[in-house]
Amino acid sequence: MKEVILDCLGEACPVPIVKSEKAIIDLEVGDLLIVQIDHSCAMKNVPEWARAQGYNVEIEEVDDGEWEVFIEKTK
Amino acid sequence: MSVKPFDNLKNNKYYKMWFKDAFPYITGAVLLSVFQIFTLASTGNPWGVSGPLANWGAWIYEAFGGSVDKWYYFSSEGARATLENGFLNDGGSIRNIGIIAGALLATLMASQFKIKKIKNKKQVAAAILGGLLMGYGARIGFGCNIGALYSGIASFSLSGWVYAAFLFIGAYFGSRLLVKFFM
Repeated sequence: MKEVILDCLGEACPVPIVKSEKAIIDLEVGDLLIVQIDHSCAMKNVPEWARAQGYNVEIEEVDDGEWEVFIEKTK
Repeated sequence: MSVKPFDNLKNNKYYKMWFKDAFPYITGAVLLSVFQIFTLASTGNPWGVSGPLANWGAWIYEAFGGSVDKWYYFSSEGARATLENGFLNDGGSIRNIGIIAGALLATLMASQFKIKKIKNKKQVAAAILGGLLMGYGARIGFGCNIGALYSGIASFSLSGWVYAAFLFIGAYFGSRLLVKFFM
């Protein structure tokens, strides 16, 4: 199992979601993609997209206005 | 072990519901609709955002000694009166200040305020270019996505729907450019 960190700090929508879509293609099933974001709308649409794909998603608020979205590639 | 004073508040159900978590889209839509009806009823004009910004530009230009007297855009009597009456008498300008102050308050209440880093020069260039294009487009298009789209459709104006159709076309090409230059 591999963990990949995707730095999207300072990126506005829709850059984080497009980058996440691209990054997850290269991952194997069971790998974890950690998307770092500080744009509150990405905190909504990145998890929504990942859940719609059927991936496991968890969000952690790491600091004021800063989040890490954990996406487990399940298929 | 010391208990921080805000720890309880942070987990409070109502704090989360009102201040921390984003409102559902439907709640936002209903609130926006109610407030824009209030705006139309109390001021006689539909809600707009970018119109007052053009006045801000004129006031800043005049503060540096410029003059917009001969500009076609500000040649109507209404536009002249608005500029002469000044910032504090322009309801749209006050409302825009309210939007900025309200957005700041909301992000502070949610404890999500953050000054973001500028990642690269491309972001700066895109922000300036995008801002110029949006501002220019909004002025020659009789409004932005609030004045021309939202208020247009709410006033049963066909132009609002035409705006919507071209908004999708613009968004399509815009996202193609975004993927090309920012990915």
